[in-house]
Formats: sequence, structure tokens, C-alpha cells
Amino acid sequence: MFSTGTTPRESFDRLQIAALVGLMFIGTAFVFSATMVNDFAAALPWYDQTWVRQIVWYALGFGVAAAMCVLDYHTLARWSFVAYWLMIICLVAVLIPHIGSMRFGARRWIDLGFFQFQPSEFAKLAFILAGANFLSRPPDELKQPVIFWKGIGLMLLPFGLILKEPDLGSALVLLPTGLVMMLVAGTPRRYLLKLIGIVGLLAALFVVDLKFLPARWQVPMQDYQRNRLLIYFGRDYTDFAPPHATPAELQRMKQRQADDGYNIRQALISVGSGGLLGKGWRQGTQNALGYLPRAVAHNDFIFSVIAEEEGFVGGVIVLALYAVVLFTGLRIAGQARDRLGKLVAVGVVTLIFSHVFINIGMNIRIMPVTGVPLPLLSYGGSSVLCSLFAVGLLQNIHIHRRGY
Amino acid sequence: MLVFDELKKNEPHLRLVAVGLVAGLCILLAGLWWVQVVSSREYQEHLTTQAYRTIRLPAVRGKILDREGRVLAENQPRYNLSLYLDDLHQPFDAAYGEFLKSARSAQKQNIDRAEKKLDRSLTKAERKRFAFTPEQLQALREAARVRVADAVVAQVSQKIGQPLTLDPVAFNRHYAARLALPFPVLKNLDAAQIARFEENFSGTLGADLELQSVRSYPLGDTAAHLLGYLQRHDDSQEGEDAVFNYRIPDFSGAVGVECGFDDQLRGRAGAESLLVNSQGYRQSETVESQPEPGQNVVLTIDLDLQRAAEESIASHHVPGALAADARAAVVVMDVHNGDVLAMASSPTINPLFFNGGLPPDEMQREAARRADVKLRPEINRATQENYAPGSIFKVVVGLAALEAGLNPEKFYTVQADPTRPGKGCVYIGRRKIDDTAPPGEYNFKRAVERSSNSYFIQIGSDAGADRIVALAEKFHLGENFDLPTRQETSGNMPSEDRIREGWSAGDTANLCIGQGEVSVTPLQMAVVYSAIANGGTVFWPRLVSRIEPQDPMSHDVATNLPSALVCDHIGVSGRSLRILHNAMLAETEDVEGTGKAAVVPGLRICGKTGTAQVEDEHNRVVDHTTWFASFAPYENPKYAVVVMVESGISGGDSCAPIAHDIYETILEKEKSGAGKILAAAY
Repeated sequence: MFSTGTTPRESFDRLQIAALVGLMFIGTAFVFSATMVNDFAAALPWYDQTWVRQIVWYALGFGVAAAMCVLDYHTLARWSFVAYWLMIICLVAVLIPHIGSMRFGARRWIDLGFFQFQPSEFAKLAFILAGANFLSRPPDELKQPVIFWKGIGLMLLPFGLILKEPDLGSALVLLPTGLVMMLVAGTPRRYLLKLIGIVGLLAALFVVDLKFLPARWQVPMQDYQRNRLLIYFGRDYTDFAPPHATPAELQRMKQRQADDGYNIRQALISVGSGGLLGKGWRQGTQNALGYLPRAVAHNDFIFSVIAEEEGFVGGVIVLALYAVVLFTGLRIAGQARDRLGKLVAVGVVTLIFSHVFINIGMNIRIMPVTGVPLPLLSYGGSSVLCSLFAVGLLQNIHIHRRGY
Repeated sequence: MLVFDELKKNEPHLRLVAVGLVAGLCILLAGLWWVQVVSSREYQEHLTTQAYRTIRLPAVRGKILDREGRVLAENQPRYNLSLYLDDLHQPFDAAYGEFLKSARSAQKQNIDRAEKKLDRSLTKAERKRFAFTPEQLQALREAARVRVADAVVAQVSQKIGQPLTLDPVAFNRHYAARLALPFPVLKNLDAAQIARFEENFSGTLGADLELQSVRSYPLGDTAAHLLGYLQRHDDSQEGEDAVFNYRIPDFSGAVGVECGFDDQLRGRAGAESLLVNSQGYRQSETVESQPEPGQNVVLTIDLDLQRAAEESIASHHVPGALAADARAAVVVMDVHNGDVLAMASSPTINPLFFNGGLPPDEMQREAARRADVKLRPEINRATQENYAPGSIFKVVVGLAALEAGLNPEKFYTVQADPTRPGKGCVYIGRRKIDDTAPPGEYNFKRAVERSSNSYFIQIGSDAGADRIVALAEKFHLGENFDLPTRQETSGNMPSEDRIREGWSAGDTANLCIGQGEVSVTPLQMAVVYSAIANGGTVFWPRLVSRIEPQDPMSHDVATNLPSALVCDHIGVSGRSLRILHNAMLAETEDVEGTGKAAVVPGLRICGKTGTAQVEDEHNRVVDHTTWFASFAPYENPKYAVVVMVESGISGGDSCAPIAHDIYETILEKEKSGAGKILAAAY
């Protein structure tokens, strides 16, 4: 109708913005609490301190996302496949020894000096855009098996590459995101049910194998991944000892089991000892005394810090804020003007929810330990930027929801 | 809910997604509820267990004082030099970092060398062989810590001028087990060392002085048996927590007053809790409860009399073949209330022997003495050993006979002993009993003076063993006094049943002269003689006069232990007692009296000597137990003094001189202090 191709803009979804600001505020406060625990940290110049950096990422992400909202999301979607393949290249690059930097036994980052670029985070967003673009074709086309398998392939490619890093958690969040997008797009039920059935069966077999069967029958996988699952399922490492292990070696395995289970044990103690009202901001003893390891307290286990210091009430507030973001996202999906918008919105909502569920679940031991950050609360440039971009996409869809 | 209304209309898929979101959030909520509300206490306990340590703080022990408040046992501060490891953990980490760096470069060199030998790069598996095992890293850590601790110790040792060494094994063991507590490097610093340390090191470096309280007996081994000694005893007492992570060394009394009044002396331990971080280093400490100091115990002992008794025993001892030290006991008692004014027993052991407070050569010497079968220095001879009373029992026989109607002026003839010229004897059946007194005519007074066996056997047999035993029971001979010091035997006295059956005239004869089945302790005889002196009241002996708080400003009130507790009345007439008193006065004042050596000018003493035979299994005489039992002044008796010397020559020769010294001291004290010793003058 209009030549410029721009569409009239509505105002932002204020409720979601408010919830976002709340989350950012909590994130700053608890990254501060988690990191400012000793003289060494306090002695750093202000621009080196962790919480200041977190604020910088917030500001940057918020700014860029706001800028992106000027453009209609269709413009962004046009570039989705470019972004997708670019991210695939980055994911391949990160696996190459001298480009990707190895830390804690995983190659997930490309070191750009001032910024640790984590391709998997951005790949998730690119996948949502590309996937939504792919699935927004007429529903009849989706009934074809070829299209279905192409969609699956679209999901499995980044999944496999991320899994290879290895980063099980980030890979895992792609699956529900992709499946929900396919469901909402209108893929025939039976395809999905069959798929879920097969995957469910495999997962169940996997769990049975891990939990009950002796060592010889185990699925081969990396040592540390198996150890994490063993901790989660409560099996002893010594069940998997080679047959002629000496008592000293068995003792060492037991010790390693205690060490590996240490994080989750300390996280549970942190969360549990918070009680109903918590111990107060910066009064958490688990963190201050170093029981919750400093390396993870401010990112993967930030929720433990919040739970210890603000208790059950604090946890409920955090969940409520996320719930606001998610349900306003769903409302945006419902009010989106076309299938593309709806799919992108649903994808973002599922992505954020998966992160929240896996991370908080890991903190309270209903999920095994995987390195999934808590969106906006965990410290980490890539994670914060992507979370803000994702919510920016939601706002974008909301603003441009009227096509007339 | 706005969202749901909108979705219900035309978006079944979104509705499904919404339901999924709600379900997921509810699962998380339920999980949080379970962990944070339901299981909160359990996790709080885990937190406390891993982060808190409790320490038991023993209280300051109460002092033991004599009746005038002079100190017999007290506490001395002892300063130890200790390392406070929580101050050192940064240097520990730094040293470990250095060690690790040099170990890594050594490792790299090894790898390079191996590669050069093989002329290629090592494979991953081969590299693994050079990797550090956890044990190697642990050894590096320990070495780093020992290096840092050694450096601190060397610095300190140089400044205070004393060579110090760090024992690495002990240090590592302390680090592993008791990291939060200080590690002692040098114990018991003297004043000069403390001054040098404070000058050079206050507030720096992780080394500091630690204060401990140690029991000391400033008068050496005066009243050692009565005071007792301490043993290491860290257990919780009643009313305290049973579980502590660490216990600072505490002590409790093993024998003596230290033991009998241990509860009052020990006070109440306090508790401190330490917050430790994830590596075990102390972060902060809170005193949960302050220890309550123990109370002081005031004895009835008079220090001057006690010292006089002990010095007198030692000075009158003639080193003999049997043992190097005197084996003797003295009891001085206030006749009007049973207060024990002095209780000496020789030989003694230095109380510091038991808590390692002596230098090594003295320790060895004391240990050898302790093991000596004849010497037995641990026994409190005043209360803990049975002795045949010999002639000092004759006062009981005499009183029983007087009560039975004996005429004290009636003379008995003592026949001469054919085998021993100048000595008397008496026949019981075919058995001859020797008499140390010469033959002749004896009335009651002369018999007491000369301690004639024959006379007393005669009158005792006439009165009957049952009367003697009945009177002895009133004196409570053969019974325990339930002393708080736990050092007691009851002696032996034949009971009325025993006399009825299987009791011969010979046994009665033995009874009359204080031999045979009779045995007593010096304390029992002091009670007997006090009763005789005060007109017939048998008092419970009292060792402790009161228990008072250590801090004079405290609000606690002193507890007076009841005094003058009457045990019994012997029910003997005043006439009989007077007769006996006069006879006993003659024993010391008359020319013929055996107790002459005890006399002190200005004091009239009533006494009785005794020499009991000690026989072996074959009834051969191997030793003598000598006694001198007395009370004074004759006009108005106040003090009873009983002296016992093992292996003495006779009561008059071995014991009476000791009593003399004691009465001299009593007289001096009364003259100078105008009756300061005793309040009771009735």
C-alpha cells in the first residue's frame, strides 16, 4: 500500500519491558553479590569489575535490540538464511583447534580479545529466524514428508555441531524450540508424534542403560558427560571401574565422584539453606566462603546465589518475572500479523523457557548438570546479548503487528 | 487471564504451548518449594556441618586454700608460641604456585628430553605418563606449606634467640585434622622470650602467643596427698554438649581434694564456634558461651601446722636400712568440731610428676620412687593404710573397763618374765605375752604411764571383749568416714558376731593390747582421741571448710560446709574420762612416763605412746609401727595430735618428738595470734 515498505508502528509492550528491566536489575545485583566477595575483587578498577561489565552488556544489547525494532522483522527475516549459514560456519570454526579456545575441556568460544564470542548462542537465534522463515510456507506444503525432513535437518545441523564442542545443554534447547515451532506451524500431528515417539523411546532406553545396566553395555560417550549423568542418576563411579582396578584406583574414583558431585551438592545446600526468606543480599555464606565454586557462581549457578540470599520468595519473584516475559511473548505470538511473526515469537518463547527450565532445574537437581546460562541473570556477554536480541525480536513483532 | 482468553479463541497450538509453559513453571515451583521450604532444615544442617566447627573452652580451675586463705594450689599462665594458619593461607597458595611452576618446567624439560630421544613428538598417551598425579600435587602442596611455616618459624627463632624447629609430620597432621586451631611451635615461653617476641612480631605474620592455664602447687609437695593431682580429661561433663569438633586440653582431679571437689573446682566449660571456609581456614569466631570459672575450695588445714608436721617428720627421720624416706603420718584435729588442722603423710610424690611439669631427670627419679614397693609414696598414710594401733588402743580398753566398774586404784601384780630380765609378762593359757613394762604393782595410772600390757589384758578380759567392741563401735572404728578425697580405708574392728564364735581368750588379749584383728588409720585415732578430749562426742572429720567463688566481686555466695557434725556419743561418764585424762597427763609429765619427749613448756599435754608389732605370715615380728596419740591443753583440751611412724623404735622415741614440734608451733601461734588458729574455745 505504501511505497516505502514500512508499516505503521505500535508502541512497545510495556509489561514485557518492565519485566525485562526487573530481570536486568536482579541480574546486576546478584552478579555483584556473587563476585564481590573478597578484597581481590574489590580492588579491581571499576571498569574491570564483573557487575559493571554486565551493565555494559545490558546497555549494549538493549540499545541494539531497540535499534533493530525500527526495522520490520520481515526485513530481518530476509537475511535469516544468510545468518544461519554464517553461524554454521562459525560453529565449524569454533571446533578448529587454533580458532576456538579451549576452556574447561570444551571448545565453545572464539577469543576476540575484549569479547568471548560464543557462536552457539547466536546460532540459536539464527536458527529460530531461519526455521520460522522455512516453516512459514503454506501449511499444505508442510504435509509433505520431504519438507518435514528438511525441517528436521535444519534443526539437526546446528544441534550436531554444538554437541561436538561439546555443549550438551545448548544443543538440547534447540530440540524443543524446533519441535514447538513445527507444531505451531501446522506440521501434521502424526509426523511429530512419530518423531517424539522414536526419540522418547531412544531416550528411555538410554536412561535405562545408564541407570541399571553394567559397564559393558553402556553407550559410549565422553567421560565427563557420562560422569554428570551418573551423578544425576545417583550411580557410583566405581560400578564402571575396569575389572582389575586396585583399591587405590577405586578410592580415587570415589574421590572424583565426590569432587564431581561437589557443585550440585553445594548448589543444593545453597538453595535449601535459603529457606523461605533467604539470608539477605550479600549475606549468603555458601558463596562468600567459597563452598559454591567461584568459577560458576556468577553464571551457571547464579540462581543458587539468588535462592540462598532471597529464599523461596526470591525464587518465586524470578519465576514470576520470567513468566511475565514468556506469557506476554505468547500474547505477541497470538497477535502477530502473520505466520512468520507467530513462529518467531513462539520460537523465542520456547527458547527462553528451555533455558530457564534447564538452568533452574539443574540448580535444584531435577535436571543433570549442563552448561546452560540463565537468560539475563547469568553473567556472560554472548548470553546477555542474545537474550536481549530475542526479546527485541518479540517487541519487533509486537510493534509491527498491524499490517495496515 | 488475558492471554488465555485471547488464545482460547482461535489458536489451539498456542494454547498447547501455554499449557506446556504453565506445567513447566509449576514443576520448577514445586521443586523450589520442596528444596527451600520442606527440606530447608536439612540443607541448613549440611551447611552448618561443613562450615562450622565448635571448640570446647575449659574454664579456669578454682584454687585450693588453707583455712586462712593461703594458696595451696593455683593456676599459672603459660604462654605458647603458635602458628595461626588462617593468616598464612595466602603465602601457602603463593608458595604452591611457585612450586607448581617449577615442577611444570621440570616436567616440560622431561618431555623435551624424551622427545629428543625418540626424535619425534610424544603422543597423547605418552604425554599422560608425565602428567602430575593427585598424590604428587598433594605432596607439592604439603611441601609448599611446610616451606612457608618453616620460614616463619626460622624468623621467629632468630628474633627470640631460641633455636626452633618445625616438625613437618606433626605440622601436616595438624593441617589435615585441626586446621582451624593454632599449631604450637614452642611451649612455655619465659618472660624474656615473651618480651622479645612482642617487641618484634606483634600483629604480623601468622605467629602469635597463645595463653594456657596450668595448675601449679606453689608450696611444692606440702599437703601433696590431701591436694591430689590432675589428669588429662577432655570429656564433656553433665550439662554440657556432648559433641565438639575440637577440645582444648582440660584436666580433672584424680585423687585428693582435686578429685573430691572436682565439680566445684572445674567450673563449667564454654563453647566457641568457628566459621570455616571451603578450604577449612578459619574465617571468624563467635564465643557461644563464656566458660564459668571454678570455685575456690578452702580447707580446714592450717598451713603453719601442716608445714611444721612435715618438716618435723623429715628432720626426725634417721635413714635406715628399710627405706630412704620417712614413712609416717600426722593428723592434727580440733577436738571441738572435727576440723582437720594438719594431715601429713610421708613420703610424698611431687604433684607435678603427674602432668609432666618436672624436668626429665626428676621425672625418672619420681617414677623410680613410685614403683618402690616398700616406699609406696602415693598412699596417704593418714587415711589410706591400716595399722595395728598397739598401745594407743588401750585407752578404749581402759574406758570400757572403767565403765564396767573397774576400780582405778586397785593394784594388779605383773609377774616377771623369766626369759627377759627386768620386763614383765602375762600368760594366756600357755601363751606368753611380753610386757615392755617391768614387773610390779600397777594401778590404772601407772599402767597407762608405763603402758603395761599385762594390766590391760587383765582388766580387758575382766570387762569382756564384748564391752570393748561395743565401745569401739561407738567410736566408729572399723568404719569409713566417706572422705571426699577418695583415699580411705576403714581399718578393721571385730564385730559382735565375730566375738561370739571362734573367739578365744588369746584374741581378747590381743584386742586389749591393740594387736591381732584390730587395725586403724591415724585419722580414726585422731577422732577417737578428740572424743576422749572433748568429753565424749565423736565428730565427723572435716577437711573442707567452705567453697567460695574465685572472683570476690562475683554475685555468687560462698557455701559453708557444715561443721561440728556429730557422729556419735560414746556415753562414757565424766568420772571415767577424768581418770583417763589424769593418767594420760602422767604419761607425759611423770618421770616414768613414756611420752616425756612430747612435753612443751607452758603446755600440759595428755598423751599415749604405742608400739605395735608387725608380723609376717609365719607370725614372726618383722617391724614395728610406732604411735603417739595426744591432746592438749589438759585444762581445756583443744587440739588432738596423732603421730604414726612406720618402722620406728618406739612411740616415745620416734613419735613423741614430732608431736613436741607440733605443739611448739601451736603454742607459738596461739601466743602470737591470740588464738588465731581456732575459734572454738568451749
